[in-house]
This record gives sequence, structure tokens and C-alpha cells, in this order.
Amino acid sequence: MDEKRLDEIISRYDYPSGRILGILRDIQVSEGYIEKDLLRLLAEKIEVPVSRLYGLVTFYSFFSLQPVGRHIITLCMGTPCHVKGARTILATLEDLLGIKGEEESGKYFATTADNQFTVVIARCFGACSMSPVIQIDGNLYGYVTPEKIPEILAGYGWHP
Amino acid sequence: MDTTGHTVTITINKNQYQAVEGEILLEVARREKIDIPHLCYESSLSPYGACRLCMVEVVTCGKTEMTTACTVRVHRGLEILTDTPDVIRHRKILLELYLAEAPHSDVIKAMAIRYGVTKTRFLKKIVTGDPLLGRCVLCGLCVRVCNEIMGAGAIGFVNRGPYTIVSTPFLEENPACMGCGTCAAVCPTHAIGIEDTGEKRIMRSWSGTPVEMIRCAGCGGYIGPKPVMEYARSRIDPVMAEELQELCPACRRKQVTR
Amino acid sequence: MRIASPEDLDAVRKIGLFKIQPDRPRIAVGLATCGIAAGGNELYDRLGSIIREGGYDIELTKSGCIGFCRQEPIVSVTIPHKPLVLLHHVTSDTAEDVIKGVLQEDIPKNLALCRVKEWDHITGMIQYGEGFETIPDYHEIPFFSNQHKIILRDAGFINPEDITEYIAAGGYSTAFSVLTGRDPDSVIDEVKRSGLRGRGGAGFPTGLKWEITKKAPGSEKFIVCNADEGDPGAYMNRNEMESDPHMLIEGMLIGAYAMGISEGLIYIRAEYPLAIERLRHAIREAKSYGLLGKEIFGTDFSFDIKIAIGAGAFVCGESTALVASIEGKIGRPHPRPPRLTDSGVWGRPTDLNNVETWCNVPVIMAKGAEWYSGTGVRGNSGTKVFSLVGKVDNPGMIEVPLGTSLHRIIYDIGGGGAGGKRVKAVQTGGPSGGCIPERFFNTGVDFESLLTMGSMMGSGGLVVMDEDTDMVDIARYFINFAASESCGKCLPCREGLKHTLLILNRILAGKAGVEDITLLETLADTIQATSLCGLGQTATNPVQTTLKYFREEYDALIVQDLPDGGR
Ligand SMILES: Cc1cc2nc3c(=O)[nH]c(=O)nc-3n(C[C@H](O)[C@H](O)[C@H](O)COP(=O)(O)O)c2cc1C
Ligand code: SF4
Ligand code: FES
Ligand code: FES
Repeated sequence: MDEKRLDEIISRYDYPSGRILGILRDIQVSEGYIEKDLLRLLAEKIEVPVSRLYGLVTFYSFFSLQPVGRHIITLCMGTPCHVKGARTILATLEDLLGIKGEEESGKYFATTADNQFTVVIARCFGACSMSPVIQIDGNLYGYVTPEKIPEILAGYGWHP
Repeated sequence: MDTTGHTVTITINKNQYQAVEGEILLEVARREKIDIPHLCYESSLSPYGACRLCMVEVVTCGKTEMTTACTVRVHRGLEILTDTPDVIRHRKILLELYLAEAPHSDVIKAMAIRYGVTKTRFLKKIVTGDPLLGRCVLCGLCVRVCNEIMGAGAIGFVNRGPYTIVSTPFLEENPACMGCGTCAAVCPTHAIGIEDTGEKRIMRSWSGTPVEMIRCAGCGGYIGPKPVMEYARSRIDPVMAEELQELCPACRRKQVTR
Repeated sequence: MRIASPEDLDAVRKIGLFKIQPDRPRIAVGLATCGIAAGGNELYDRLGSIIREGGYDIELTKSGCIGFCRQEPIVSVTIPHKPLVLLHHVTSDTAEDVIKGVLQEDIPKNLALCRVKEWDHITGMIQYGEGFETIPDYHEIPFFSNQHKIILRDAGFINPEDITEYIAAGGYSTAFSVLTGRDPDSVIDEVKRSGLRGRGGAGFPTGLKWEITKKAPGSEKFIVCNADEGDPGAYMNRNEMESDPHMLIEGMLIGAYAMGISEGLIYIRAEYPLAIERLRHAIREAKSYGLLGKEIFGTDFSFDIKIAIGAGAFVCGESTALVASIEGKIGRPHPRPPRLTDSGVWGRPTDLNNVETWCNVPVIMAKGAEWYSGTGVRGNSGTKVFSLVGKVDNPGMIEVPLGTSLHRIIYDIGGGGAGGKRVKAVQTGGPSGGCIPERFFNTGVDFESLLTMGSMMGSGGLVVMDEDTDMVDIARYFINFAASESCGKCLPCREGLKHTLLILNRILAGKAGVEDITLLETLADTIQATSLCGLGQTATNPVQTTLKYFREEYDALIVQDLPDGGR
């Protein structure tokens, strides 16, 4: 992201409430992650210590500091999804994509070697009635089973 | 203190004490030498309520409720119990948790022993290579003085939940650090390491941030971190600042008497 | 156009009514997040292209979600002077059949779910018509007939992206009469008398909170809507905002007027992009009709709503953390007092209420406190929306009077366990709640009864567990959730939950002894008693309730003679 675009994002927020998180969120949505130098530049522009911004991006799970793959797979680990077998879905994804992440930390993050897919975990999309649920690049898939995953992934260029 | 200055009578452990309305209960207890353990309270900062060691029971209409002494403000008729079986029981578990979280802190060990806790049943944290030496209890005092009092914002909390630590952004050297050392001075468990090498001060716990030291214009000895001097000078009368120059206390005394 | 008189409102109502009941057939696809995930968008596009290509005289539009998630995608069809018909499991493949059926006024049997002859929007009545006798009536479907819809009165019937349809269903007429004819204090009084209690979990009396905020010193204050809905398994607020956003706006408008506050904020979680989009759209619409902004309805009252978006932290639903988050800080709670009503957003007095709490306000003012408190049980008036999910046969979004028994909800509405399995327990209140075993399903869902069971109302998630669910694993799941969502400020929650998790892991791995259970109980007790905020104070409820009601499952995992106590 260049400086002009950053300025544009900052200019969207002329109201103090929700401003800082709003700016960070827009950067995250546009880039898929928040780059170190961009965070420093932002701190300078909005006159907030870098330590505060760094605290925010490591506190809130919506933000990522690592670059992500081309497609982002978000697996829901909310209660209904858990009860309906989200863990097997995660295992299947790890298996098929050849990745392994740390589940316990609450900030699961794993990217395939070819940089095509990044898998992260979310807590509920509010589509619990069709659990287990995964989301790929913003599209929700409900009633997911391990058997359905290869077909879903194939829609994003994955092949065995 | 935001009080109307009224003196009121309060009851602590069935004894009566005089206190000023609006005063923080923990301050009163301290003054009256009533023992309440605490780690995160500092009178110059707003109440924080994180360490939970100062739990006491408030008695209202015969019912008791647990609360923290550092957040209760004194009012007429306040009744407090500081050593009920519940308070003691919970305090012991909290101390066991502290022993697991900061296994290398002698301050915590001594405090635990004082309240009858000699070992912990919880798995101790592995702290090899910890810049805070396995002593940090996340009381937040360092972060608060750095941000609220010094206005430097050099350090902050990173991550959340059990993964929370105190550090600099990206765990890298941070030029925003003035090297003032206030953080180390307020740390209750002496976790923050600072090393003076002469021309540099190294903030060991803050990702090894180096801070330039300034020499005395008189004798040539190192007198303090340059950013702190600049900060101080920017805050006082420029004429006086000019006169004071960069002098160590000994040389300044000489200059004033001359 | 700006609405400033009853005539203006009436003119808009007519426009909206003509959209709900045009002089030609109307097809509305249920397009809330769930409907979209079930393929609603593809269906909508397919229907659109069939209509376009055939040059048919059919109105195609969107609606919100009627809550019967298992039957999705759901489509509603209205043919002039006929009942509205709900179709279920409609796919792109059956789209042709739908169009054909509409044109021939002969709805395909296999697609028809039920028919609605007239619909009571409470703020207004809509008559559809007679006919289609062979299709079951709405009231013959147990999933619907056992419900009582007040908050969900519009969901699935109107287009949430069209303010005129909300107005057609009687929307904003209550705000109009309140703003132009009622004394603000009498509004607070009405809400107090209705007995409305906060739907965010704690059940604090809403009218009282309004009164305290109003009396707090200072002229610049905020009202805030808590749309963080962090409880996994709860999606009532999402559906309320996606299916009927103006209901929330009208509720906030009336509340703002009652408290004399001109600035409103909605704090909404980032995981709800569609709800955010629909709210933004609704706010723009409301502004263009003069229902938000300056001199609303031509009075001298002004009120505006801004949106602040969260960033993924359950703890930010807690009031002080939510304020910190709005101010761009880390969401760490701080000790109360000061309460929000004294010092909230930017240090100003702030009234915070849940989405659903606000949504109750228009009906209370429209029908009066007595009417409202006629639903529910003593001390718990009105209805509550629940998301009924997990291993239940009919998962979905439901609304029942407070005090309705769990049995009625899970069996009569939910149809019991999915796939005929035996239901074992239900988790209410999310990570802060507890697991209630089947033998206590005669418990009514009201604030006090659930607390007595060791659980909580919470925001309204009901997660059903069946005979295959391992309760110790469920406890572990919730503790893992709470530990990773803990803000990390206070010791009992930060360290205590971590060790609770480690102990549960040990138990599940078959490496724990009896003393581990004792330690688990002791630790849970301390976390509950000494944590700073509601997250820590309630986080151990799942452990405590499973220990209480399913102790045998723990015992089965305990190793009797562990060398060295298992460590
Ligand atoms: C950890 C935690 C999470 C919470 N999450 C929510 C939430 O997602 N939505 C909500 O409305 N209230 C939530 N609450 C309750 C709020 O703090 C607050 O009580 C509520 O929004 C007040 O609104 P009400 O009076 O209308 O219920 C949460 C509380 C805690 C302690
Ligand atoms: S109870 Fe948990 S979430 Fe609440 S302040 Fe303490 S650490 Fe943070
Ligand atoms: S729990 Fe997965 S969508 Fe709600
Ligand atoms: S001193 Fe009271 S909580 Fe730390």
C-alpha cells in the first residue's frame, strides 16, 4: 500500500469514535495483513505511539502481521461448529493442504508452501444453523463435511 | 484526591478508623498499618485493579461482597474485613498462580511465604531467555508510567490472555525510549534490566534499546540519558535551561556557588 | 423526501405497501447471511434471469430471514389476493418450477412449506388473501406455531434494504407519535413499567438505566448499541440487524429522545459484514427521510448514529472494554465504578444497550407497557429471541415468551435431537453459561431460573448436545475459548484459565488423579470470585456445571493410582 492510499483511508475517518480500529481494519481488509513499515508510518501520521498500534494489532484477532496466501480459508470454531465436528474439518484441511498450525493459541495461522492458501480460525460467523461452516475469500460454505472439502477447494484452484 | 475533605469513621476488621471521604481504602490501610498485599497499585496513577491480591470483603447490611481495596473509595460507615477465610483462601490460590507465572521472582516468593504459601501446584512457566527474567507479573506499572506519566509510549502490552507480555513494538529496539528508567523504578518484582556502559545505556528488557548518554560539560563524566535531558530542558524556562547546561550535580553546585 | 407530518408518513406507507403487495406477483428470496450461505444469491440471480428472459411481469426482491434455517433457501411468493406462500429448499435447479408455479397460480407441492393468510406486524396488519387450501397453514407448522414473534415480526416479510417497506408495516409511526406528542420522561416511565430488561445477558432494567443516564450531570452524552455478539453460537443480533435494521434505528431514536441525547453509536463486530452494510444503508435511508439528523419529523430534536466496528475480541462486549475499543484502545476492562452512565465513551455519560433491547422499544411505545408485560412471566416480561443450534433437528432462529420451558423449545420447536439421537444437555449463555442436563428441561428460560441452574441467559444462544457429545471435552472447549479470549489484564483469568485448561487436558489424556479434580474445583472457585470483569467471573461456569451434572464423565477419566500424583 502506498502513502497516498493510506492517506485516503485515514481521510475516511473524520469522527473520533471508532477511528483507529477503523483505519487498521481497512488496511487489513485491503492488504490481507498489516505491514510493519506501514504501521510505523500510520503511527506518525495519526500521532499515536507505535507501541500502542502494535498492542492493538496483537490484541485483536482480526489483524495479522504476516502476509497471507492468495486465498484465505477461515474455519469457524464456534461452539455449534465445534459440536458438529469443526476439528475434523481442520484436520482434513491440514491434511489436504499440507499445513500445520497452533490451535491452542487462539490465533491459528498457517499458509501453504506455494502461498496459495492461508488457513485461520474464527469464532462464529453467525451461520451456526448450518454448522460446521468455513469461509473462503468471503464466501460462506455450510454443512461442510470432510468429503466435501476437496470439491470446495477445487473451486479455488486446488488439486490433489 | 477529589474529596470534600470530610472526615468519616470507617470500620476495618471491627476496629474504627478516621479517614477522608473519597480516599482509596488501600491508602488508609497502609497508613494504619493494616496488612493488605498488593502489586499493581501506585498512588500517582489511577486505580487499575489487575493483581487481585488486595481483595477484601465489604459488609453491607450484614451481607459481604468481595472487592479490591485499591478501587474502593471511603465513605461514611464503610465496613471492611481483610482476613476472612474466603479472602485468605483465594489469596493463597492467587499466590500459587503467581509462583507459577513468575517462578524466578524472589519478591513473589517472599510474599507467598508471608501468607503461608511455600509451593505451587501449578505448572511453572518456562522462562529461559525471558528479557524480564521470569519475574514479570503484568501489573502494568511500567507501561502506565511510560505512557501516562513520561508520555514516551516506548513500551506496551503485546498479545492477549495468557500470551500477554510487555515489550517494545515488534520486539525491536525503540527510539521512543528515553532511557529514563522510571519503569525499572516502579517495577515491584525488579524484573526490568538496565545496563549503563558509559556512553550508552542499554535497556535490556526493552529489546536492548540503546540510549545515548550525555557528558558533564564540567568534569566529563556521564550524567544521564540524552533524551531525558532534552525532555527536561524542553519543559523548563529556556533561560534557566541555558544556564544549567549539561552539568553533573557536583559541577552544578560549584557553578551556583561561584 | 423528509417526513414531517402524518400525511407524509402515510404517503410513504402507501409506496411501501405497494411494494409488499404489488398488483402483480412478487417473489422474495431470503437473503440474510445464512440464506446466502445456503445458495440464496445464486438463486436470486437465476430467478432474475428467468424473469428477464421470459419478459414476465413478476417483481423479484430480497427479504430477511424467517428463521427456519433448515429449510433454506427460503422464498416467499405473493400473488395478488392469495395467501403469501413460503417455499423451502429452493435451488437454482427448481427456480424454473417456482416461476412456472407463480405464473399459473399453482405452487409446486414439494416446494411449498406453508401459507400465510394475514400477518400481524404488531405495528400494523397485512392481509394477503384466501386460497391454496392444500398447502398447510403457517400455524400448522410446529416450528412456527410454538413461537411468539414480536421482535422477529418483520423478519422474512419485508425487504430490509427498503425503508418504505418497514414504514408500510407500521414502522417509524411510533417514533413519530413519541417525538411529536410525548414528554420524554413519560417515555422512560413507560419503558420502566413495561418491565423490559437488558437482552445483552445481565437483565438490568432498561428504563432504570435510561433514567440514571438522563440524570447524570453533563449535557453531552452518548447512547451506544452493543452489537458485538461475541458468544459463538448466538446470531440473534446479526439476524435482527440484517432482517430489520430500521427496528433498531427506531428503538435508538426513541431512546435518544427520552434521554435527550443527540449522539448514537453502534459497536458491531467485524465478522458481520452484511449486517454492517445493511445498517449503513439503513442509516443513509433514514437520513434522507429526515428520520435521523437535524430536526427530526420537523421537531427541534436532532439525533445521529455512527458505526464503530470491532476487531475480533469477545471481551469487547463487556461495557468498559467496549468503550476502550471505541476510543481506539486495547479492549481491557477497567474496574467499576465509574459506571458507563457516569463516565463512558470519551468520559461522557453513556447508555449502553444490546441490539435486541433497543428492538423492543418501538413495540413497547406502540402498544403500551401493559400490553407488553402481558407476555412472559413475572419479572421477565416480553419475548426473547434464541438461536437454537447444535445437534437439534430444526436449528434456527426462534422467539418465545420469557419463561418458556427448555422442553418446549428443544422438542416442540426444535424437534428434538438431530437424526433421532437422544438429547443430553443444552448450553445456554455461551462461554459464560452452563450445560443444563435433559432432566431439568422443565426449567423456564428466564433470567433467574437459569442462574439457579448455574447457567445464564447470556445473549440467547442455545447449543444442543446429544448422546455423542463428550461433556468434559465441551468444558475444555469453553475454557480454551475463554483463555484465548481473556484480555490478560487480571491474574485469575489470565493465568487461572490457562491452568484450568492444562488440568482439563490432563484429565482428557487420562493422566489425572482425584486431586486434579479437587484442584480444578478450587481454582474455578477462585477465578469466579476474584476476576476483574464478567468474562473471568463467569468463564468457569461450563466447568462447574459439567462437574455438577456430569460428574460421572470426569470420574470415568480419572486414574486411581497415579504414581507421583500424575506429575
Ligand atoms: C465478556 C463479556 C461479553 C459480553 N458480550 C456482550 C455482547 O456481545 N453483546 C451484548 O449486548 N452484551 C454483552 N455483554 C454484556 C454487556 O457488558 C452489557 O451488560 C450489555 O450490553 C448491556 O445492555 P443491556 O442492558 O441492553 O443488556 C458482555 C459482557 C461480558 C462481561
Ligand atoms: S477477567 Fe479476564 S477479560 Fe476480564 S479483565 Fe480480567 S483478564 Fe481481562
Ligand atoms: S459457530 Fe460456526 S458459524 Fe456460529
Ligand atoms: S492492588 Fe488492587 S488489584 Fe492490584
